[in-house]
Amino acid sequence: MIPKEVEKLLLKVQKPGRYVGGELNEVIKDKDNIDVRFAFCFPDTYEVGMSHLGMKILYSQFNSKDYIWCERVFAPWVDMEKEMIENNIPLYALESGDPVSDFDFIGFTLQYELSYTNMLNMLKLSGVPIKSCDRHNLTQIVVAGGPCACNPEPIAEFVDLFFIGEGEEVDLEVIDLFRKCRDEAKSKSEFLQMCSQIEGVYVPSLYDVAYNDDGTIKSFTPKNNAPSVVHKRLIKDMNTSFYPDNFVVPLIEIVHDRAVQEIFRGCIRGCRFCQAGFIYRPVREKSPETINAQCRALCENTGYDEVSLSSLSSSDYSQIVPLLEKINEWSKEEKVSISLPSLRVDGFTDEIMDKIKTVRKSGLTFAPEAGSQRLRDVINKNVLENELISTCETAFNGGWTTVKLYFMIGLPTETIEDVEAIVKLGQAVVDTYYKCTNRPKGRSVKVTVSASSFVPKPFTPFQWEPQDTIEQLHEKQSHIKECITTKKIQFNYHDADTSFLEAVFARGDRKLCKVMELACEKGFHFDGWNDCFSLEKWLELFDECGIDPSFYANRRRSFDEILPWDHIDYGVNKSYLITECKKAYEDKTTPHCRLKCNNCGAAKYGEGVCFEKRKNMV
Amino acid sequence: MKNVRIWFKKDYECRYISHLDLNRCMLRALHKSKLPVWHTEGFNPHPFATFPLPLSLGFRGVNECMDVKLENDDYPFEKIISKLNECLPKGIKVFNVTEPLMKSGKIAFAKFSINLSCDKINTSKIAEKLSEFLYLDKIEVEKKSKKGLKTVDIKQGIKSAKIEEKFDFVTLNVVLSAGSSDNVNPNLIVSAFEEYLQLPVYADITRLDLYNSDMELFR
Repeated sequence: MIPKEVEKLLLKVQKPGRYVGGELNEVIKDKDNIDVRFAFCFPDTYEVGMSHLGMKILYSQFNSKDYIWCERVFAPWVDMEKEMIENNIPLYALESGDPVSDFDFIGFTLQYELSYTNMLNMLKLSGVPIKSCDRHNLTQIVVAGGPCACNPEPIAEFVDLFFIGEGEEVDLEVIDLFRKCRDEAKSKSEFLQMCSQIEGVYVPSLYDVAYNDDGTIKSFTPKNNAPSVVHKRLIKDMNTSFYPDNFVVPLIEIVHDRAVQEIFRGCIRGCRFCQAGFIYRPVREKSPETINAQCRALCENTGYDEVSLSSLSSSDYSQIVPLLEKINEWSKEEKVSISLPSLRVDGFTDEIMDKIKTVRKSGLTFAPEAGSQRLRDVINKNVLENELISTCETAFNGGWTTVKLYFMIGLPTETIEDVEAIVKLGQAVVDTYYKCTNRPKGRSVKVTVSASSFVPKPFTPFQWEPQDTIEQLHEKQSHIKECITTKKIQFNYHDADTSFLEAVFARGDRKLCKVMELACEKGFHFDGWNDCFSLEKWLELFDECGIDPSFYANRRRSFDEILPWDHIDYGVNKSYLITECKKAYEDKTTPHCRLKCNNCGAAKYGEGVCFEKRKNMV
Repeated sequence: MKNVRIWFKKDYECRYISHLDLNRCMLRALHKSKLPVWHTEGFNPHPFATFPLPLSLGFRGVNECMDVKLENDDYPFEKIISKLNECLPKGIKVFNVTEPLMKSGKIAFAKFSINLSCDKINTSKIAEKLSEFLYLDKIEVEKKSKKGLKTVDIKQGIKSAKIEEKFDFVTLNVVLSAGSSDNVNPNLIVSAFEEYLQLPVYADITRLDLYNSDMELFR
């Protein structure tokens, strides 16, 4: 329901459909019969937030309880934000149109470090005090989860509690505790202390941090019985865990406008730069029967004619071909097409290709990540050049003419030869096209080479690594440009300035809260968008706060330094990460989970790939 | 195969979606409803639907239509209505299905009701100014075309106009040229009026009906 005052603004802004709700399958409840109101906030635009699977899962799950009404809130784009401020309209939730400040819980999902300013800005637009210590009552509880919660420290002063790991179970436990505490008229601090006893909940205000003279952390001390280490939560049985049979179907076009079906969590590969590959361990699959049934229900209930099978490295699903066969039994008849957005170079087989191209032919994207074999071994990508070439042959002979290749620059140990190898690999793919006898006749090939800048992330073997400076990254980008001699290769690269800021916040500590607070005061928002981001302004802010951002981005940490996230446990031992880091320096690879268990620590959960029978085992 | 014309209202939240979004919404509802509508052939089959006259973003529509082809000639129209409504967002409501009697090219006029309000002046002042404005010999507006901006006189595109003063707004009922040539968008009238008033106004616009060149209701 749109607040009346908003209606007059809607015709003045771009895409007013972002701000109105009213979609098919949105959940409307009678607020008088509701016990807990949860504002699920996505700190980006409607189109981005509505594409996010985690929000769809939790929205449906919360609303499946009759005592909770979960509503959606997105960051208004700059034009709408301006109108709302000028007309004194606070940020409101789409379902009821009620202001966010009315809610018991204000929950954020943190997908990306550069959305932190949007989170604070959304609180500000709601008229809710941004700092946890300024919100005194047992209402407007600000909670956050998602991958960035793995290092919550840069935003520790703003969020009352973080959900560490997967949210499906722990969120509800916290909500139930909240109802109890409210009934018993407990204070907010009593509630937070009780929450800290729930596994998977991190309450930052219950910890004191002391620093050394050089700015590194000296100690991290829990108070009031809070645990010294917070362990992540994880769903043990993916077949019985909650999955929506229904999505809110947007009225306007969003980024990923299709049904999304999760097929497994985690990744067996262990690429050393990839945070997701470590924090979601161990791999836990859904059965093909579960996936097929959920997929079909989703398509029936939403009317989508496309479903995307979602996971990290989807071709690693152990029963991918039987699964595609099962889905194909009905999908052709119902005119539904299937897409597999995350395919590995070595997972694109003729069989898979035949099954996914039946209805629609989408572009193909592969991520070799590094140009040279040596560097691919360093990052443990475990993809060989000839695998990429033969995959491209399969694709070209199957009628594709465009291929996107994703790379990273600034990886640890990278040399100028490694950078040049990116172009060589792109050229080799172009040459492959012209060697393919079954290639589409009379058509040229287009190879898009994309280079993003490496950002070292917590809980990866590269968490101690310095990021290349912006100057070094610029040099590498222009070197690649100079090396490309054919128009058949198109080169894209990611802005190094945003990668730098991302690196600062990814491995930041609580000292950065001061910077975040000032950024919010000065109206920073949408830092992930080129329209709004300015490194210059950020550098001024850091300067004003007396903080050197390169301390976080470009400094090499020693293995014995206390890291800001050391009190959080994602199941992978720190000693394992150290071993992996050392192996990287020796160009040594590590076999994936299905070939051999490398004792990372994730087996302690007693589930998933750690307990599968390996083929080479007798 | 039978052509049918599906009549619907577009209002509430759905008022704020563009024609392209409406199209997507309808195709999805047709797909979800599993009605026996004809699909395009080829790599990406989808239900085939055409809209005789698209409605601009922001307008309400009370008598809008969409044409589809039915594969089953005997399929009951009431069932189309109920099935589609189950699959549509609440801002779009199908209320009738007919066999088309006129081709979409026959549309020549459209009737709108425009509710005008302004924070700065009261309704009788708006009504007074509006009637002065409509008596102008020429109403020139800048219109974007493929060749850039051009100035056109929309006065001759206003077939009839009636002003009604209500409690907190003024209703302008107009019949305007519509269709593929000489279309006059009521937004043009509103912005020309704002220019004339030198004040911003808020306009709540509803398209009521479509007509052919003899002012017969489009059916």
